[in-house]
Amino acid sequence: MTTVQDIPEIKLLEYRMTLGMTTMEGRGFYYPMDVGIADDGRMYVSNRSLENVTRGVRVTMCDIDSEYYGTFAAYGQSPGQFVWPSACTLDSRGRVYVSDEATHRVSVFDREGTLLSTWGEHGAGEGQLDTPSGLAFDAADNLYVADTYNHRVQKFTADGRFLMAFGRQGSGAGEFNLPWGLTVGADGCVYVADWGNDRIQKFTADGAHIASYGSSGRGDGEFRRPSGVAVDANGYIYVADWGNERVQVLDAAGGFVQKLRGEATLSAWAANFLSVNVEEGEARSRANLEPEIDYFVDDPHEESSHIEKYFWSPVSVKLDRDGNLYVTESNRHRIQVYQPARAYA
Amino acid sequence: MANRDVELIGHLMRRAGFGATREQLGAYVAQGYEATVESLLDQTAEQRMGDDLIRRFHPELSGMMGTLGSGENWLYRMATTTTPLREKVALFWHGIFATGYPKVIHGKALSDQVRMFRHKGMASFRDLLVELSQDPAMIIWLDNQDNHKDAVNENFGRELLELFSMGVGNYTEQDVQECARAFTGWTLGNREYMELRSMRDSDWPYGRIAWHFEFQEDDHDFGEKEFLGQRGPFNGDDIVDIICQQEATARFISRHMYSFFVADEPPVPEWPYTEPQDPAAIDLLVQAYFDSGYDITAMLRALFNSDFFKDEAVWYRKVKSPVELVAGVLRLTGEFDRPRKEILDRYQQSIFMGQFLNNPPSVEGWHQGTDWIDTGSLVERINFASQQLGDATKPGVGAMVERIAHTPSVSPEMLVDACLDQVGAIQVSEDTRRELVDFASVVGSPDDAGHGRIAEVLQMVASTHEFQRA
Repeated sequence: MTTVQDIPEIKLLEYRMTLGMTTMEGRGFYYPMDVGIADDGRMYVSNRSLENVTRGVRVTMCDIDSEYYGTFAAYGQSPGQFVWPSACTLDSRGRVYVSDEATHRVSVFDREGTLLSTWGEHGAGEGQLDTPSGLAFDAADNLYVADTYNHRVQKFTADGRFLMAFGRQGSGAGEFNLPWGLTVGADGCVYVADWGNDRIQKFTADGAHIASYGSSGRGDGEFRRPSGVAVDANGYIYVADWGNERVQVLDAAGGFVQKLRGEATLSAWAANFLSVNVEEGEARSRANLEPEIDYFVDDPHEESSHIEKYFWSPVSVKLDRDGNLYVTESNRHRIQVYQPARAYA
Repeated sequence: MANRDVELIGHLMRRAGFGATREQLGAYVAQGYEATVESLLDQTAEQRMGDDLIRRFHPELSGMMGTLGSGENWLYRMATTTTPLREKVALFWHGIFATGYPKVIHGKALSDQVRMFRHKGMASFRDLLVELSQDPAMIIWLDNQDNHKDAVNENFGRELLELFSMGVGNYTEQDVQECARAFTGWTLGNREYMELRSMRDSDWPYGRIAWHFEFQEDDHDFGEKEFLGQRGPFNGDDIVDIICQQEATARFISRHMYSFFVADEPPVPEWPYTEPQDPAAIDLLVQAYFDSGYDITAMLRALFNSDFFKDEAVWYRKVKSPVELVAGVLRLTGEFDRPRKEILDRYQQSIFMGQFLNNPPSVEGWHQGTDWIDTGSLVERINFASQQLGDATKPGVGAMVERIAHTPSVSPEMLVDACLDQVGAIQVSEDTRRELVDFASVVGSPDDAGHGRIAEVLQMVASTHEFQRA
């Protein structure tokens, strides 16, 4: 008899490296929520920070070589400022879009972080937003927004003019429960992390439901509160299986392919910190960072809090042009990068 | 005016929980007092705002690095749970086994300790003490990581006897030393690295790593020990077994329970010299402790069903702690129907009033009773409760206002009674009622049942002596 646990795993991705480190300001991340990746590889990381550490709210600019290009934006209610920054994405012209779940707005910046515009109005009406989270552009530079507490997806022009909406609260096909991350595939289809329903849903560009993938659970192909989704040119679907503290890869038909638990190593910035703080570096080198523990509760969240290399709150998955997958972990303040496995590259 | 059945269950819910809405009280009255006690003791059917939802919108309440997150997270639970007694009991143990951030410097370790209280706090006292002895935050708080086979540190052993189980006067200095020996090698995993990071308040490079207990066999003193008249090669578990057998332990825990749930006792240091105010009540709880094999739920059942608990003489005798006041108000306002950034402000209000969860003033926890009240904290308490209950845009307040508006409150007296009833069937003194009626008479004519007027009376009710008490 075949069960979901018996599905043979294909190693489509392999671990490459870790980026980032926790810092309340400047070079580093602080409760990062997402990363937008420009065509030239520059990364824009939206940092949520602690509720009472307002200086941690910012967008950090860096790249896969750990070059640091500075930060922009700050905590606040004024245009271009954030309270609960969430998703980050770029349009075809390299402009950076960041959603804010507290002010119900989307802010637009140029490549260097200069504010271009802020739009969005709180409400449940057409074009209004209640807790906007996931953002994704289609090939025509139309922006899909996960309108979380309205349990729908809305589509806007790049300057914020309403085009259409689909979905409503529920668990049926095409319905949502607090949708979060979303993406647009090469074929123009929209994939949504239907967070509260533990599934990924696929739609046409016009919002017609095509398919649903996954169900609640911890087995292969099952999800617990998925938060992000990415799709590559071959149709493989990458899911931030946030509540299970892992990433899963599905094939274009939704079949299970691979699961990742996290393999973080020291980033360039982390290695730099430990080389300067010698006493901490030496104590760390003597510690067993993968101890055997009799856990108080059987929960991946608990396990991830103890084993540092594992994903802890893998909130977002993003692909770059080369097929590298960037997994942003809000609780570990870093990004683990996976690359196409040599056999599949 | 609410009848006595409603008022009695209102008293139960203020003590065993954080108060209840009038609708909830009605449902409890319908099922009866003893059945309500049983439903409070039943931990199996909990509903509350889920961790997933909290963590989604407050990543810091998932990672727990800071000083405030563990308290905010706890407040969410207190404000939304259907099993408030579990949180109240966790608060009870937190006050006794008081552990604080300034020395631990690890929010998740403190939050994990509270989680342990939540899971173990209503079961066997023996199991609770064993868990406590293995709790990483407690190990750091009382230096048991420095308690070695060849260099004993007595701190945890002493407090286990003095503050956590028996109280002074019931053991000798030799018992303290033997107790400490039994807990040698009970330490923190990766002690050196974790302790160093804690001392440096280091989040680097990737945030805090959760702590875990480790028994280091080669650092444990397996030798013979003599403890409270018994002899053997005792380990920490054996010591806890012996502690739990003691009458002094039963009396100590019973007195704490009486003081927290029934009526304030003097501070613990005075206990050796001051008899309990109700010795018969303590005897009843001691009996429940031994009859049940140290079961906390059995003790609570005996307490809540006792005549001394139901006695009107103890109603409103206790001053709500700041956290109890804040949680109770939030349950009435229904503000947190979803995660909101305002949780930080609401939690900080309890700090301004004098109670910073996971940051008690000392190993003795917080002094209860009128120690909560001084000129500054009283203003904070009244301002907070009045402001929240006067805001009819909050769903719970709006619902109360609507219900009051639809009752025939044609006189200021009837309006006041309706408001007192809505906030949890509060019973007030004649003086308080007269003040409220005078206020209701001033803010509007008797036939003017406008919503604003009702909200103003609710605000005034929130400032009363009785609302500020439990």
